[in-house]
This record gives sequence, C-alpha cells and structure tokens, in this order.
Amino acid sequence: MKKFRSNKLAIFLFTFPALLLFIVFVFIPILQVFAYSFTKWNGISAPEFTGLKNYIRLFTDKVFYTSNKNMFIFAILVTVYQMVFATIFAIAVSDAKIKGRKFFRVAYFIPVVLSVTVVCQLWLSILNAESGLLNTMLRSLGIDFQQNWLSDRYKSIYAIAFVNAWQWMGYQFALIVAGIKTISTDYYEAAQIDGANAAIAHRKITIPLLAETYKSSLIIAITGGIKAFTEMYIMTKGGPGTSTYTLAYMMYSSAFRSKEYGYGLAAASMLVLECLAAIIVINAVFKSNDLDAVKKKKRRLFA
Amino acid sequence: MRSKWEKLWIGCLLVIWGCTILTACATKEPTVIQTEEEEPVTLTIYAQYADEDTKFPYDYAAKKLKEAYPNVNLVLDIQAQDDGQKLQTYAITGNLPDIYQAGKQQIEAFKESGNIMLLNNVVESTGFDEKVSEEAKNILYDEQGNVYAFPYAGNEVVLWYYNKDLFDKYGLTVPKTFEELLTVIKVFQEHDVIPMALFGKEKWITTAFYDVIATRYESGGINSLDNGEVKELNEGYRKAAQVISELAAAGMFPQNVTNLNYDQAAELFYSGKAAMMLNGQWEMESAYQKMGDSVDWMYYPSYSEEAYEAGKEAWAGGGTIGGYAVNPNSSNCELAAKVAAFIAEKYCEAKYLYRSNPFVTVKITKEPVNSFNGMTTRLLEATKDVSYTRFTWGLSNAIFKTEIEDQTQLLLTAQYSQEEFCEEMNKILEDMQTE
Repeated sequence: MKKFRSNKLAIFLFTFPALLLFIVFVFIPILQVFAYSFTKWNGISAPEFTGLKNYIRLFTDKVFYTSNKNMFIFAILVTVYQMVFATIFAIAVSDAKIKGRKFFRVAYFIPVVLSVTVVCQLWLSILNAESGLLNTMLRSLGIDFQQNWLSDRYKSIYAIAFVNAWQWMGYQFALIVAGIKTISTDYYEAAQIDGANAAIAHRKITIPLLAETYKSSLIIAITGGIKAFTEMYIMTKGGPGTSTYTLAYMMYSSAFRSKEYGYGLAAASMLVLECLAAIIVINAVFKSNDLDAVKKKKRRLFA
Repeated sequence: MRSKWEKLWIGCLLVIWGCTILTACATKEPTVIQTEEEEPVTLTIYAQYADEDTKFPYDYAAKKLKEAYPNVNLVLDIQAQDDGQKLQTYAITGNLPDIYQAGKQQIEAFKESGNIMLLNNVVESTGFDEKVSEEAKNILYDEQGNVYAFPYAGNEVVLWYYNKDLFDKYGLTVPKTFEELLTVIKVFQEHDVIPMALFGKEKWITTAFYDVIATRYESGGINSLDNGEVKELNEGYRKAAQVISELAAAGMFPQNVTNLNYDQAAELFYSGKAAMMLNGQWEMESAYQKMGDSVDWMYYPSYSEEAYEAGKEAWAGGGTIGGYAVNPNSSNCELAAKVAAFIAEKYCEAKYLYRSNPFVTVKITKEPVNSFNGMTTRLLEATKDVSYTRFTWGLSNAIFKTEIEDQTQLLLTAQYSQEEFCEEMNKILEDMQTE
C-alpha cells in the first residue's frame, strides 16, 4: 500500500478522469455562473459587463429576501423533520424485537424511489383546499382547522417543505440504519450490564457514534433545502405571486421568465455561496464537537 | 457465489441499461438536405400540439401540405409549455428547427442574435399579405413594418363567460357594475356555487383579469404600462387593484384559486359548480359543446352603468406579432419560408371552417362546416372597431410581464393589499424608465 501511495503516476491516472469530469462539468460552469453574474445578458446575444449592478439590485430586491426567508424555513423544516423521524424510525427498525421490521424498512423508503412529480401530484390532491383529503378529513372529524394549504401567502411554504421532507426522509432513514448497523452490539450489552435502559443506551451510544452519519445527513438535508426548486415549480409555480420563491426559483424566474440571465446568475451565485457557507458551518460545528470530546477524554486521563 | 442464471440475468439487465442510455444520448436524425425542390426534403417544425384546439388545425395544415408539396416531409417537434426555454436553448446551441412558432419577445431577441429570417419578400411572393384581413394587419407587421413570422391567430379577446341557467335559477341578471357583481357573488355563495372559476395557477389569466378591470378605467390596460405610456400607476390602475382585492375578499374565487389549473376550472364551470369563468374567446366552441345554450358571454362589468356602456369598445386581449418563423440558417430556408406561409394559412382555414373560430389572421371566404354559434356571431359583431390591449405573451417587456403576472396572482388571495400591489408595480415601472 505504501509503495502504491508513493507512485505519483498511478495516483494521477486513477484520479485524473474523475477530476477532469468534475472540472469540466462542475467547476468551470460554477466559475461561468460567477462571471456572467456581472453582466447584462438575455441568454442569446453577447453579454454586457455591468460590474456590481446585479448584486446591488439583488440586495435591494424584496423577492431576494422572501426567497432567502423561504429557503431557511424550508431547510430548517426539512432538516428537523428528517433528522428526528429518520432517527426514531431507524432505531425502531434496528431493534430485533420489533415485528415487521422488513416491511417498515421498505415502506419508509418507498417515497424516495417515487418520482418527484408523482409525489407532488399526490400531495396536490391531498392538500386541495376545496376537495382535498386533508381538509375533508378535518371537516369530517369536526376539527375546525381547514386551511388553504397551497394558496395562502404565508403558509404555503410550510406545506411544500413538508412534502419535500416527507419524500426524502427515507433517504436519511437508510443512511442512519446503515450507520446503526456498524455499531458493535458489545456497547449495548455493556450498557445493559451498567443498568442503562434502551433510551439511555441510544442517547449515550447510538447517537454519539452516528456523528459522522449525522454530519452527512445534515449536509444533504440543509443543502437540499437551500436549493429547493422542483416542489415549488410543480405545486405552486412559486405562487401565490412570489410567496413560495426560493433562491433557485428566483434564479429560474429571472433567467427564463424575465430573460435576465445576468441577474438570475447573480441569484445563483448567492445560492452557491450559501450552500458553501452551510457546509463550512456544519463542518465547523462537528469539528468543535470532536475537539470537545478529545479535551474531555484528556481531562479524564490526567485526572 | 452467484449462480449461472443470476449472472445471465445481471448481464442482460446491464446490456438493456447500456442500450437505453446509448439510445437516449443519441442525437436527433439530421435534417435530410436536398437542394432540388422536387426531391424529398425534410423540414422540422417546432409548433403547438397540445389539445384539440391546436392538434386539429396542425394536422389539417400538415395534410394539406402533403397535397401541395408532396416532396416535403414535415417533422413535428411539439412545443413545450416552458416560457420559450426550449426554443432559446435551440437558438443558443445552433439547433433551431427550420420552422418554429415564436412570440413577440422571441422575435425581438432573435432579431438581435440573427436567429430569425426577415420574411418581407416571402410575404409578397406568396401573396400572404393580401390574404391577411385588414383588422389583422397589426399582427403581421412589426413597428418597423417588417415581417418576421406568419401569424394565424387574429385579434383574440378575453371573454367573461357565465352560466345562464344558474343566473336564471337564482333570479340574477348579468351584472353591469361592480356593485351588482358583489350582489351576484353573495347570492352564489349563499347557494354554495363558486362565483367564478379562474385558473389562477396560470399567471397569464390573473393578469388578464386585472387587465379586464383596468380597461374599465383606462382603455389601454396593461399595454399602456408595458409600452411606457404610463410611467406610474394612476388612479384608474390603482382602483382596478382595489376592485380585485374587494372581489377576492367577497369570495369571488375558489379558495385555492392560485392553485387551480385550466382543467379543474373548466370542469367546475361546465359542471355548474361555478357560475362564471374567464378565458380567451377560443373557449367558446368547447364551452358550447359542453353546455349548449346554457353558456354565454357578458360584457365586462364596470364602476357605473355609463362606464359599462362606454367600456363595451375596450377589450382585454388582442393580437400581436408572432406565428410561424423561419430559421435563417436552415439549409432550406427559402422553401421553409414558403411552407411556413402555407401552414399558417391552412391553420387559419382549419380554425375557421372546422373549429368555429373566426378570429384568425387570414380572410376565409368559404362557409364554415358548422355555422358559428350564437355567442361567436354576437362576439364578431361586438368586436368591430374596438380597441385591444395585450395578452401577456404579446407584451414587449419580459421583466414587466413577470412582475405583473406575479403581482396580479397575489391580488387574488385577498391577503395582498392594493397599496402593496401599487408599490411593487410602480417600482418596476420606474426601473423600466431607468433602463
């Protein structure tokens, strides 16, 4: 292995194809996004350099703030829902005593394999204010909580975020189940001997040992929330008005509806930066947690 | 260890998967290029082909083309409902079809980038200009007097449909004023009838509704805002927003109006669950087939009876340049131009003769197969010498179009005030002046 790692040519040959693809299809387009964001461009004619004009306009645009607010709501709701339920379900199906584990394992994952369009259509029917299943059910149960789920200026973003969270929860669930499987049963047996019940054992063993899995899950959930687009496009077309715009939708609307590609790409640049910032913050949080753990360990050793 | 059969199955699946990917990645068959006109020529056409109203006229035109130009093989690429993204991508990547349907904004953008053919000579050589009716000349020529597309749709209008039976059942008369309209809304609500089914998920119709109300105060409607005649929302435009807010608050629309699509709205109207509906005049034939004499259209209500009478000559809608355009970089652009003119003419013929739609560009002298229904005949009379505004696809400023579509959709929610609407619209009008 040592000999292989010292072979620079081998390393180059194995990494170059992937690196080339990454540079051509990801890195260069991202650079282009930033470059074109400083221009006025209709997508066909030659772009005209306008300096920071698009960014100045972006920061004074109400839609930009609505988009950011929606993006945060979306990311937070998706993350909380997915992390909490995925953890509960994963722990439950990992327990050998639970009956029908295989069925639940498949059932929780089914929404993930469905097409987003199918899921959105399904929820469009359920959330229909006039004849949808949800309002009809609430009405028949005598609960006065019928809502205008998708045409309410203030609430529709929550309904859309829920649809996304519901669909992709299974993905996080699969990651956490896989993570739990890697934990040795010895820890749980030791905890049992020490008198810990199941809840304490999971709090003290499962969750801390899943830190790396949670880190990946968090990055997926948060960045997924930040770049949300499809659900808005299918379910509300960003409406009512601009109420369910996210940065990704704003980018689409500016570029393809208003034919302002330069402005749309300025929104896209902000989207890239926000995704990067989210990843940096998550990494920093997990890193500081790791350092705290090491410090605690050292303190215990020297005590 | 995997069994032999398992390996065979996996192998087969991999081969199928590979073939699928290769097929999907394959490029379109290139256009058959033949220089001799009598030799087979394949032309690609990017055109609307979504419902009966677009499928039938296209098929009719394609069939007639086969008779007139037997050597031309027309390959249809169905137009996507995507705000012109696909066409724009074709243009950027140099893959524009030989003939394509283009609206005003695309024509303007493609003129700059050299992706659209100037058709002035073809219009004369094919005699297309003489076939176009006088009222539709505004749709053929742009502001500079040039032709870039062969149009087929005439000066179409936004129509306010209503269910006569429901109005009779509840002893209501057609509202002439907004006050009367509010009474109508109240009565229908009391009887669990949705007053108006508006497919507000499509933002053009929310703009059309604003335009309908705005033309009661300002006959130029949204067109005057788009072309810069009005630099700030005046009293009329503000009042129009106020009226819509009030109507929405009174419960004129279904709760999920901004999420209602055309099929759902039409179903509500046809089934008698909704009493009124707004759409273009092209809805007449379908509505008549579904509802017979129960359906009719009304003049737009106004703020007073005098204004109602005076406003009968101001219609929301109207035609704009657009239609079948030609790719100047096509190897057969001259032939493609002739074919585009032919298709446009036959498209009009099909709509007029078989779809009972007289709102076409070309004069048709033959009698329609099914005589026009009462609504159509009355509308033909009513729209003589009238003024028009624009449908959103005819607006020249894409930024204004996006903004007014979003803002008018918000107005329907009854959670958006007239002040908020005016503030946002004035901001965009100011930006347009600066630009």
